[in-house]
Amino acid sequence: MNIVEVQELRKQYDPPKGVLAVDGVSFDIAESEIFSLLGPNGAGKSTTISMLSCLLHPSGGDALVAGHSVVSEAQSVKEVIGVVPQDIALYPDMSARENLLFWGRMYGLSGEALKKRVDEILELITLADRQKDRVEKFSGGMKRRVNIGVALLHKPKVLYLDEPTVGIDPQSRRSILDGILALRDQGMTILYTTHYMAEAQELSDRIGIVDHGKMIATGTHEELVKVVGEEARVTARVDHYLEGMAERWREVKGVEKVDLEEDEAVLLTEDPNEVLPRLFEAAAAAGARITEINVTEPNLEMVFLHLTGRALRE
Amino acid sequence: MKLAWILARKDLLQTVRDKLSFIFILLMPLAFTLFFGLLFGGGSDRLPLAVNDADGGAAAKQLLAALQTSDVVKVTVESVADAEKAVDDNKAAVALLIPKGYSADLTAGKKATLTVVSTEGSSGAATAASEIRSLAGEQVAVELAARAAAQSVWSTRSMPAGAEQGVIAQSAAQARSVTAQALAHPAATVKVVQAGTAAGQVPTGFVLSSPGMLVNFIMFSLVTAGVALIVERRNGTLQRLMTTRVRRWELIAGKAAGMFLLTFVQQILLLGVGQLFFGVDYLRDPEALLVMMVSLSLVASTLGLLLAAVLKSEQALVATSVIVSMSVSALSGAWFPLEITGSAFQFVGHLLPTAWILDCLRGIVVRGFDVADVLPALGVSVAWAAAFFVLAVWRFRLSD
Amino acid sequence: MTKIIAIAWKDLRSTARNMPALAMMLLAPLALAALLGFAFGGGSGFDIAATKVAVANLDRAPSSAGESAGAVVVGILGSSGLKHVLDVSKKSDDAAARAAVDDGKDAVAVIIPSDFSTVIYGGSPLATTQVELYENPTQEIGGAIAEGVVDQALLEFSGARAAAAGALALRAQGEPPPAVLAKSAAQQFTHAGGVTAGLDISQRTPQLSGDQNAKDVSVTGAILAGMMVFFMFFGAANVARTILDEDRAGTLPRLFTTPTSYGVILGGKFASVFVTVTLQAVILLVAGRLIFSIDWGRLDAVVLLTLVAAGVASGLALLVISLTRTPAQAGAIGAGVYLVLALVGGNFTGTAQTGGTFGIVQKFTPNGWLLQGWNTTMRGGGSGDIRWQLLVPLGFAVAFFFFAVLRIRRRFA
Repeated sequence: MNIVEVQELRKQYDPPKGVLAVDGVSFDIAESEIFSLLGPNGAGKSTTISMLSCLLHPSGGDALVAGHSVVSEAQSVKEVIGVVPQDIALYPDMSARENLLFWGRMYGLSGEALKKRVDEILELITLADRQKDRVEKFSGGMKRRVNIGVALLHKPKVLYLDEPTVGIDPQSRRSILDGILALRDQGMTILYTTHYMAEAQELSDRIGIVDHGKMIATGTHEELVKVVGEEARVTARVDHYLEGMAERWREVKGVEKVDLEEDEAVLLTEDPNEVLPRLFEAAAAAGARITEINVTEPNLEMVFLHLTGRALRE
Repeated sequence: MKLAWILARKDLLQTVRDKLSFIFILLMPLAFTLFFGLLFGGGSDRLPLAVNDADGGAAAKQLLAALQTSDVVKVTVESVADAEKAVDDNKAAVALLIPKGYSADLTAGKKATLTVVSTEGSSGAATAASEIRSLAGEQVAVELAARAAAQSVWSTRSMPAGAEQGVIAQSAAQARSVTAQALAHPAATVKVVQAGTAAGQVPTGFVLSSPGMLVNFIMFSLVTAGVALIVERRNGTLQRLMTTRVRRWELIAGKAAGMFLLTFVQQILLLGVGQLFFGVDYLRDPEALLVMMVSLSLVASTLGLLLAAVLKSEQALVATSVIVSMSVSALSGAWFPLEITGSAFQFVGHLLPTAWILDCLRGIVVRGFDVADVLPALGVSVAWAAAFFVLAVWRFRLSD
Repeated sequence: MTKIIAIAWKDLRSTARNMPALAMMLLAPLALAALLGFAFGGGSGFDIAATKVAVANLDRAPSSAGESAGAVVVGILGSSGLKHVLDVSKKSDDAAARAAVDDGKDAVAVIIPSDFSTVIYGGSPLATTQVELYENPTQEIGGAIAEGVVDQALLEFSGARAAAAGALALRAQGEPPPAVLAKSAAQQFTHAGGVTAGLDISQRTPQLSGDQNAKDVSVTGAILAGMMVFFMFFGAANVARTILDEDRAGTLPRLFTTPTSYGVILGGKFASVFVTVTLQAVILLVAGRLIFSIDWGRLDAVVLLTLVAAGVASGLALLVISLTRTPAQAGAIGAGVYLVLALVGGNFTGTAQTGGTFGIVQKFTPNGWLLQGWNTTMRGGGSGDIRWQLLVPLGFAVAFFFFAVLRIRRRFA
């Protein structure tokens, strides 16, 4: 069952001539699913999340979150969502505990129930021993954990995370990603935005690729990768006579296609493990030496490139 | 040096681009000076005086008439309650209550009493009370002189027993016109000569208060001068500058130069308004004026630099700047003349360069000061500015 | 309601941890009141420094006379009764006296001419003379005081001469010679005490309705009241500015993603401004009482004035925030607005500028009305005596709030 249904969401700043940041984006998120919005900076991911958080009023379209419209039932939507903004949004001169208590009150919790929930969150984010320290004294990773903890206080049905791992060390990133997976396993639905392909690939049940405000593809990783085919890409360089080697490699079993690009050969194959030894054999037989060889499995980067003509990182 | 100048220009450009703040740095003191000048620049107002005459006798009426023709006070006749309220509401500088029996006491040679109602510490009240004392004093002198004349004449004559009072009163009445005439043309009068006004202006309220306002606003601009520096420290651009060819002293000098120019432009505007619109003759000695303007900007910019160097946050800077600028303004005589304060306060005040600068600005306008007269103030200002600058360089942090 | 309290409490706690803010809100007004109180003597009544007067008595007494008239004037100027008002130094000649003024050592020089006694004691009714007062024009007050004293002294002389003229007019044939009669009349005038004995001018503060015993306002109290109202503007601005700070930091938008409504969030911020600045005032009032022994007056008036002042400060601070975009802008513009209001409203000069145009202009500022209210309250007035001093600033506060709410809602809705 879909818990989030986004229907033709549009946002134009300063109409009629202003920037169209989101242009008719539609997607659904099933319960207990991690859905990632993947796209470069400026694609419209944060604007989409802001509309789904009821911070921005859509210029067109609507979205239902747990059955409530973001356009007409904003308060009800806010009851069921937890938002982790991209930048740390905490009170630096307050302790971790004080921050959690305050935000908990803003989410409608109070009394003993609030205190108990704060204790649980502190355990979850493994900061119980630092709960009385002011947030301004925390490392970046610790601040991010409190930032996430705040959004979980009221046990939301849907959690939005807007690029939560930007600018942090690999260890903290790993910790956050593991935490997100654990939340999903406990039944939480998660909308995750990122421009890191590897994160989207690792975390997501389904991915939506956005660019220039439009949703250009949605699906599981496997479904998206099929867009560019299932073949792996092998690039190889030899010490001499590349053209001749390219001809020989065309004859190798398992090689679907060989193209020459500047000083390297680009081969497509469905089974690089089988093909690679044959390529080395062919080179040896021809008296050539392979100086460089790379294998790239089909990935989202290639999907993005295929769909937009640009790399994800441009 | 060139790099310092480039830095100063950048700072000024950033200040100008923040249009709202820029407008306030320049327009607000300008608007205030215009406003204040329009109110007070046209020469002194007559002080409002509320009078209640509960007596109604000849002497009371005479006193009232004398007050009504006075140049110092402007009389309105009120009930006692209204007169008191007028003082309470700041509508009148003082209220004069002439009690029942005033005229009778005067003619009977008894002590005449008057009551002056005023708010404690009001300088307007002191001036009005002085005028009342002067006019009432003259009136009393007429009566007492007539009475003394009558008494001295009758001391040589015999009179029926019990008739003394009546006889003396009658003679005093006869002598009154003579004594009044004599007092209207006194033998000795006061001639007031204002020192230096051969060269300067006769000071009105605005002429004297304009330099104080100038110092007040320039010191207050410490608030904004240092904020940009703190912001730069916080966002890392200051540190980045030190990875370039810029040397530390050039960086600091550039910052100070930007602040100097900003306060100098503010001064030009404020002095220009005073000169052109309200006739405060600052340009009477342009060289002396320039020396004082440079002194004031030196002090303000180096102090602003020191505060920005030492303090961490914008908030701390605003708080400290407000406290420092207010204390300095009060101690220097910008809010009230130092002459009305105690000697200890005056001593402390004159340790500050701004007190010297204020004295010299007033001196230029009113007492005909020239460059030679203002050089001591320049020396004091340069000494303080140098101390601020050295401290600022020593304490300057590139990052938090 | 609990959410509003939670937001207000968070901001209050934040302010309590903010040393610069506390310095501005509490330390600054107390320190400035102490400084200025020290300037003016601190007790009840202004205790200003004695005016420095240089006296050059060039008078040559007529050989038959005793003390010269000039010496009498010098004696009056230097009398013990005037020691707290005039600090007299004698100079050998007029040049030295004028130089003392030109050099800034003395505020005024009194130069008694050489023919002073001759004119005063001489019989010629047409002879006149002038006592010159050479004044430093930047020291008006001292000059006015010296003028007043010299005028008084000259009046006594003129009175004695007038008595002599009167006696001559009354003289009949066969009576003592004119010179004798004239001298007798002059002495009669002088021995009776002159004008000083014949006129008593008492001074008091305005009485409040129904109260015969209005108190004098302590100087430090008047100054602290002015400083308190001024720094309440800054106290309120400090908290109000957190709206902009939090908008930039992201905590305000985050608040808007919670189920707490805009009204409650903004109401909480407004409440935190009001509560903080009220608490600031209470602390200052208590400190004023404990440190400077200031008697603030009747409780009903004090409470109402405090609450209305807090309303004005809060409303104004929120209005400034609503018109600015960044915290730095709000700081610069707010500081300027508060300074101008304080200068026009008399926060720094108190009652030193009274009546006339200034009195009218003060009424355009809410703080001018509040200061009047404090003045009346410290003199013993109750809430009934300060009706307008409460209602008018309250009107200002409501207007400020109204426009602030309109703009802030439009911005964050």
